[in-house]
Amino acid sequence: MTLTHLLVFSATALLAGVLVKERGRGWMLLVGSLLAIYWMQPASPIRNLDFWLPSATVAVAVIGWAATRSGEDERSRENLISGIVIALVVIAVGLTRYLEPLCCLTPTRPPQATQIIIAIIFTGVLIALIAWFFPKRGILLNLLFFSIIAIFLVLKTEGLAQAASAWLRTQTRQSTNLASGLDIGWLGFSYVAFRLLHTLRDRLTGRLPDVSLQEFVIYVIFFPAFTAGPIDRLQRFIKDLRKSFNLGSPEMVSGARRILVGVFKKFVLADSLALVALNQTNASQTSSTFWMWVLLYAYTFRIYFDFSGYTDIAIGIGQLLGFQLPENFTQPYLKTNLTAFWNSWHITLAKWFRAYFFNPLTRFLRSRQNKLPLPIIILISQISTMVLLGLWHGVTWNFVIWGAWHGFGLFIHNRWAEFAASRNSAPQSPGIQKLYNWSGIFLTFNFVALGWVWFFLPTPSLAWRTLQTLAGI
Amino acid sequence: MTTEIINGLTTFITTQIIKRPDKELALDTPLISGGLIDSFSLVDLALFIEDTFGVQVDDTELNAETFDTLSELVNLIKSRQS
Repeated sequence: MTLTHLLVFSATALLAGVLVKERGRGWMLLVGSLLAIYWMQPASPIRNLDFWLPSATVAVAVIGWAATRSGEDERSRENLISGIVIALVVIAVGLTRYLEPLCCLTPTRPPQATQIIIAIIFTGVLIALIAWFFPKRGILLNLLFFSIIAIFLVLKTEGLAQAASAWLRTQTRQSTNLASGLDIGWLGFSYVAFRLLHTLRDRLTGRLPDVSLQEFVIYVIFFPAFTAGPIDRLQRFIKDLRKSFNLGSPEMVSGARRILVGVFKKFVLADSLALVALNQTNASQTSSTFWMWVLLYAYTFRIYFDFSGYTDIAIGIGQLLGFQLPENFTQPYLKTNLTAFWNSWHITLAKWFRAYFFNPLTRFLRSRQNKLPLPIIILISQISTMVLLGLWHGVTWNFVIWGAWHGFGLFIHNRWAEFAASRNSAPQSPGIQKLYNWSGIFLTFNFVALGWVWFFLPTPSLAWRTLQTLAGI
Repeated sequence: MTTEIINGLTTFITTQIIKRPDKELALDTPLISGGLIDSFSLVDLALFIEDTFGVQVDDTELNAETFDTLSELVNLIKSRQS
């Protein structure tokens, strides 16, 4: 999200809050979010891809709705109108190709209108087929679940993304020699995937409320949270969407304040720190232990201010639109242990992994006939969850090591907490407790900071060399 | 009935999770947000509730938004038993 995006989104949210009432709010959010995802999509060297990627996001969202809807459709007319509106917005974005002064909402010229209309008809038929004629709902939901994970793997694995780029280039008759894994920058897909996987899984367990097509698509592509979260749950999101909302001065003040805080964190603090933060070039050039620590701490604060600033902006714009999006950061670097850190860093992502991976895996391991020893179960659950969370950022060894680093850290903390609890010691004096807390904060902060070396640097060898410099070796 | 549920939960949490049988748990003590029950112990608590009270607690419900205190947990169990 650039400053221009931010200004336009905030102004639109304010205007909409003042002018749009009741039923118009849903349509405004739908059309606004649709236009926003085309506008935010970065350019791609593959012809027309920056139009087709947001279009695919819309298609996937509609397919997600069709697969998770219940049999009884009380709002079929409204859903049909929503479908038509979505198709018309997609066509309108494409038609900007022919309007020189307005061209274009997408970074490059959209494809020809006939191609877009054919794609819409094809998607419409596909959706109708899976929604009304697919024999077993359970199989359909699982099929979509694993299809989303497969797409995710292709996008996040460099070799596969490069192969996909080469294939797309043959379709557009472009040179495959220039194919790169970076060609397919599908904006927002990671977060769209989390929302869809949550709805598919909750439909499977019968815990998904019935929502209209309009509500479902708004939930999946809600523009303030589209590129980097927070990852809301549909059950919570629709409460805000369905409530009657009038933008008053309390929402304006708190929303504007939150946006300003976010802008300061992201565009002033994080961007200034970026000038001295650890990167591939300075990591390989710096040999001084002291300066390496300076670079690392600068990166540690930069990533926090950048990401939490973005979240502040998303939450602030959400407030102007009548949504209280969930918090993603609650002073994570001031936590006394790693478990508390992961309860306050990228909270909605950690919750997602807990709900859909950690808890089912732990439940399975704890319910088995041949039970493994408790510490082994904790070790398996913690490390596999954190490695998976690492892999979500990209399928590379560095992210695996970063995940394992945190998984192991969480395991050690868990065992330490267990040991401390079993000692049943008497309450400590306030001075000792304070010292204990500050030591915990210092240790946790530095453990997390050292973990960022694996997270940010591209290869294990460079990360290892950096860690050696930090250790003065 | 409510007292039985409270006693059952209190005994399990104090002896099996926080390992301090002498600790008194108030009905409004924040269990999850207060750091008394970690994510691993939450799964154990869910398994205990299912075995003891015959109530299913889903993996997506093991968080402070669904229940954070003893009284919220008791209400959840009772609402699913009826």
